[in-house]
Amino acid sequence: MKKGRFGIFGGQYVSELLMPVLIELEEAFDRICPTEDFQRRFRGLLRDYGGRPTPLYYAQNLSGLVGFRVYLKREDLLCGGSHKLNNSLGQALLASRMNKKRIITETAAGQHGVSAAMAGNIVGLETEIFMGVKDMERQESNVKRMRLLGGRVTPVTTGYGLLKDAVSDTLREWTTSSRTTHYLMGSAVGPHPFPMIVATFQSVIGEEIKAQVLEKDGGLPDAIVACGSGGSNAVGAFRPFIEEKDVRLYFIEGGGESLDADNCAAAFALGRPGVLHGAVMQILQDEHGQIKPSRTRASGLNYPGRGPEISHLCQTGRVKAGYAFDRDVFEAVRVMCRTEGLIPALETAHAIAYVLKNKEDFDRDDVVVINYSGRGDKDLDLIFRHSEDKQ
Amino acid sequence: MISYSDTLKISSKFDELKKRGEGAYMAHVYYGDPNEEFSIRLIRTLAENGADLIEFGIPFSDPTADGPAFQAACERSLRGGMTPKRCIEGLERLRREGLKAPVVVTTYYNIPYSMGLERFMAEIKEAGAQAVIVPDLSFEEADELVRAGGKQGLDVIFQIAPTTEGARLNRIIDAASGFLYVINVEGVTGTKKELQRSTLELIRGVRSRTGIPLMAGFGVSKKEHVVDLVSSGADGVVTGSAIAEIYSRKLDGPEDALPEIARFAREIKAGCVEGFARRSLNR
Repeated sequence: MKKGRFGIFGGQYVSELLMPVLIELEEAFDRICPTEDFQRRFRGLLRDYGGRPTPLYYAQNLSGLVGFRVYLKREDLLCGGSHKLNNSLGQALLASRMNKKRIITETAAGQHGVSAAMAGNIVGLETEIFMGVKDMERQESNVKRMRLLGGRVTPVTTGYGLLKDAVSDTLREWTTSSRTTHYLMGSAVGPHPFPMIVATFQSVIGEEIKAQVLEKDGGLPDAIVACGSGGSNAVGAFRPFIEEKDVRLYFIEGGGESLDADNCAAAFALGRPGVLHGAVMQILQDEHGQIKPSRTRASGLNYPGRGPEISHLCQTGRVKAGYAFDRDVFEAVRVMCRTEGLIPALETAHAIAYVLKNKEDFDRDDVVVINYSGRGDKDLDLIFRHSEDKQ
Repeated sequence: MISYSDTLKISSKFDELKKRGEGAYMAHVYYGDPNEEFSIRLIRTLAENGADLIEFGIPFSDPTADGPAFQAACERSLRGGMTPKRCIEGLERLRREGLKAPVVVTTYYNIPYSMGLERFMAEIKEAGAQAVIVPDLSFEEADELVRAGGKQGLDVIFQIAPTTEGARLNRIIDAASGFLYVINVEGVTGTKKELQRSTLELIRGVRSRTGIPLMAGFGVSKKEHVVDLVSSGADGVVTGSAIAEIYSRKLDGPEDALPEIARFAREIKAGCVEGFARRSLNR
């Protein structure tokens, strides 16, 4: 068995220029991460700076609407407004212990970029964030936040100016600077050891869910629903439950406008295994193996690949892959606002939309946890534009 | 099927050049940029003006090891409707029309992965290729492609970089076949004004460890780069982006750039010869 494999997925498909730094990173992670010193600092920051544990909220009104018990794992309350800080703090601490001088990363919705800039400041490393020009338009408020935090935002104009292109440009930049620079990979994608590192730092979500449901409901949940593309919030929420075969796991990707290959980001519905950005993943691609641009209104789900671990879990049937169309996502935002007074991120609203549209997947006495991965302040313009378009 | 004699073998080519006292020049193009007819004429021009080997690029949508010039080349080629199948047909045509230089097919791993490794290697072999370079295939993941290449008698060319050190470097050297591609710089493909001193040290260091032919690529665009590289122990050089930069200034009529490209190729080749001569003097 090769390193970093999840079934057929994963691996290390990178330029020779990057292999040495990947080997260095894996060695450093294995050596530094388990130490008491690292864990004390990491857990301390998650608690005192990030605000962990995040609450598990029983959504009474939403439960009444759907007819089964729904809990929200409130990652929107993590400092920065999404789950991304868990991973950013972990990797930034690791980078500083590896004596790297600088952090580079990429972002789409901007949530990861914001958390990387925050974490970079905590450990005293300068942070450069590559962001597709189209995403910079769509997520302008997060661009401002990154810049205010001191992050250098570099516009990516290559390709389609989206996340896929930003990842490519960050990899290119890393080949020029890997001796001094850490690539703070934002999702559970990329070459080994990134998917393993990101999942390890994000699995705090699932560990907390397990303890909190047990305390509030007296048992394990019947289902956990999470949105994703690379899959970091989903893998983080699912990991402690993968061996708990009675817990159903749902991974919801961007359905875009329709299940038409050019209007969609549903790689499990329309893609097949392929190699992109360093790993074998489930990927949207044409018949010749050229990568297709994905399409969804949610920038954070707009990536044509699925991380190796979530690809494997869906391929083997342990996780059920679903999708939500843009129109249902905007409706889910409205429902969430009116029932619980919460404005979800468009990405997060995919998980909610799936539950609202697929009530038959759940029984009346089911306990369902939705990983409420982020808040929607960044999406206000998009949400208002959508409701104006409809009128 | 056309049968290709041993004269096309990569090792034979290096032996022949050594006997003649020349470094090898490999010219890298992305096929189909901006259209097929131009690529055919471009490759012919390069081969007639000094290119000893052709690095025949099948474009990929996300060429992460390539800089701006080759990213644009891939984009233009794909926008024109280029597919891996048509590239392979193009190679076949070049052979049919008399191209004698060994051909190293280069593309990103998803292209053979998507077609099936065995089928891909069989098809490029049938079309007339001698070797393959996959810049996003690490040594650690290369077993399957090497196996598929072995069945066809195709070399899988490994790359080493300034960051490759110690035991890994030795493992890659030991497993290399055809030649070793030395990535000159920490970065992506693209022309550079100056050659770094560390690049020449890298060449000398690898040279002292192995007798396998070394081809130095990335950032090479001038005769003086070539002289320095070859005289330091490289068996040859690769240019790519520099060629694309010449014709991409004349995309409305890229054929107009062929005379300039011919001059460029002759100069690079002259550098290969001069560098080799200096190497003998140095000894």
